[in-house]
Parts: sequence; structure tokens; C-alpha cells
Amino acid sequence: MKELMRVFKAGIYKDNPVFRQILGICSSLAVTNLLINSFVMGVGLMFVTAFSSFTVSLLRSTTPKHIRMMVQTLIISAYVIILDIFLKAYFPSMSKALGPYVGLIITNCIIMGRAEAFAQKNKPFISFFDGLIMGLGYTIVLLVIAFFRELLGFGSLFGIQVLGENWVNWTLMIMPPGAFFMLGIVIWATYGLFPKEEQDKGGVKA
Amino acid sequence: MAKKKQILFPVIFMLVLTMVYTFVLAFINESTAERINELEALEIKRSVLFVLDVPVDEDVSSTYDRAVEEAVIDDTSYYIYSDQGEVSGYVFPFTGTGLWGSISGYISFTPDFTKILGIDFVAHSETPGLGGRIDEEWFKDQFRGLEIKPEDTVIFKPAEGGNIDGITGATLTSDSVRKIVNAFIADILSFAKEANL
Repeated sequence: MKELMRVFKAGIYKDNPVFRQILGICSSLAVTNLLINSFVMGVGLMFVTAFSSFTVSLLRSTTPKHIRMMVQTLIISAYVIILDIFLKAYFPSMSKALGPYVGLIITNCIIMGRAEAFAQKNKPFISFFDGLIMGLGYTIVLLVIAFFRELLGFGSLFGIQVLGENWVNWTLMIMPPGAFFMLGIVIWATYGLFPKEEQDKGGVKA
Repeated sequence: MAKKKQILFPVIFMLVLTMVYTFVLAFINESTAERINELEALEIKRSVLFVLDVPVDEDVSSTYDRAVEEAVIDDTSYYIYSDQGEVSGYVFPFTGTGLWGSISGYISFTPDFTKILGIDFVAHSETPGLGGRIDEEWFKDQFRGLEIKPEDTVIFKPAEGGNIDGITGATLTSDSVRKIVNAFIADILSFAKEANL
């Protein structure tokens, strides 16, 4: 239980993949102009990270050390393809909106980072949980960025218009630079919000 | 003495793992292929009916099957729309270069090729919220009933003879659409002459 709590805290803020480890930045910039895109991307990443961490951990004692990267890539790509097929078959509009980004989940450093840093040394169940929570930490940051980008850029939230007719959309927020500004602000704000523990040298670096 | 690196085991391990995953993926792919194909076909049908401005009252498929026929001449596939036994429109798929990637969609013409009936974009990678607004109804609706001229059918306002409003903040995408449509109309006019439509 204590272990679960520790992993949970690490994933959400102490060692958050986006604003602490600065991983998965490419997709945080790319899909955050709409909340719904960020949400689907986040859930997709949670699924892939959780299952690939689980599988990597399950095979960790039998996997020969020098080919482990190859094995991890194979495992991750398989889950990404499963997700891609699933979205195509059951959420075609989402699959269209995310376009190539679903396939690019495989390049998300968070997944390989967790497989290397955590799943390689821990039991399957806790690895699954770690993947899930790391994905959740990523999703939360994405949603925060997307909340401001969609609100300021389109005047809407989850596609529902919330700001009145007189609202002038901030074009900058929809464009890629808007994501850079928002991400910078998020990293800055969280840096002040969750002070780094100075003596914490055992933090997992991916 | 240092332990020699194993060769055989890693190879077999990788082989078995690859086989397992290939099998799983093939199975999932096979079991959803039909559904995905159906969804894609439905998307095309919906788009074709949209450019023809045919009201879809019940089911997309049945409306489509009743009124639209597919045809191919010289590798150009197109759709013929008949209303009460009379041909009342042609639909052609088009593809062209946008700002970030290719833009593809469908465009339809009256049988005498004097007017555009409608246009729809099915795939593009324009900036969401800017160029991506070519997907919005108001933009596509402007093309309905547009008269075809031998050259430069589409001219943006406020230029002389302008007939379409471009998208604010998406000059390059708007311009790409203009070029695609104008070039495509020229192609289709010569195609229609040859094929005697």
C-alpha cells in the first residue's frame, strides 16, 4: 500500500513525467489545442504505458540484458498498433483528429523511460500501476495546457462555447508557439508549487 | 574467464516474442477490418451526398445506393447522381497541396458543367482553428451554385470579381484551396469534353 502511494505521488507531482522529467514534450505541444484531443491522447498513453510496463516487467527475468531495448520497442509498438486499430474501429472521428499522433505514441519517451527505469526492476503489478499513474500525470498536465489553449484560442471547453460572442480568439494559443508559452508557464508554476527535495538523489532519471 | 555472450537464446527469445505479437496483432486486425472498411465507405458516401446537397433523411447508405452510381473512365473514378431517372450531378474526388500537407475531398458539378454543386474536404493537415476551418459549413457553403468560368472560377473577395470569402488568418490555406479548385476545374472541363459527359 505504501509502495502504491509512493508511486502515485511520484507520477502525479514529485516525479511528473512532463514538468519534472521533461519527457513527452513533443506530444504535449502537438495535441493540446483541444481538450478532447488531449484527453484521448492521455488515455491512450496510459493504456500503452501501463501494458508495456506490465509486459516488460513480466519478461524481465527471461529477457537477455543486451537485447532488452529491442524487446521493449517491440512490446510498445504492438500496444500502439492495438490502440490505433481500436480507435479506427470504434472512434473514427477521434482517430481522424489525432491523425499521425497515435502512431507517434511509440516515440513518447515516457513509455520507454518507465520500462527502463521502473518495469525492469519491479514486479508486474506495481509496474502496471506505475505506467498507469505516469500516464495519468502526463494526462493531467496535457489537460491543464489544453484547458487554457482551448479556452483562450477558441472560447470553448470540450467543444462547448463558454465565452460569449464578443470574445476575440487568441490565434496565438492555437498555433504551436502558444503551446510553448503554456508549457513554459506550467513548468515554472509547478516548480514553485512543488519544491524540489534537495537531498532527494535517488529520484528515477529516465 | 568472462562469460561468453549467449547468441542462440536471444535470437530464439526475440523470434518467439515477435511471433506471439504478430499473431495477436493479426487477429485483432482481422477481426476489426470489416468494421473499419465499412466506416470508411460510409464516410465517403456521406461526403458524396453532402457535396450533392442531397438531404439525408434516413440512412446514409440507402439514400446513397438509391441515387448514386459509381463510374470509371481512364483511371478517373467519379460518381453519377440521378434524380428520378435523370442525371443531375457529377462528383469527382480531388487531391492537392495545402499548406502543411495534401488536401483531399470531393467536388460536384451540374451535368452541363456550368456550376459547382458543392465541395467537401475529407482529409487535410491544416492548422486547427485557422486553416482547419475549411471544414466549417460557412466556408464550404460559399461554393454551392458557384458559376464555372474557363479560368479562375474561384476569386477571393475583395479582389475584382471576387466570389468567395477567404479565411482570416489562414491566407496560405485559403490560397491553396483556390489553386486546387481552379486547377481541378480546368482538368475536369477537359476530361468532360473528352469523355463526352
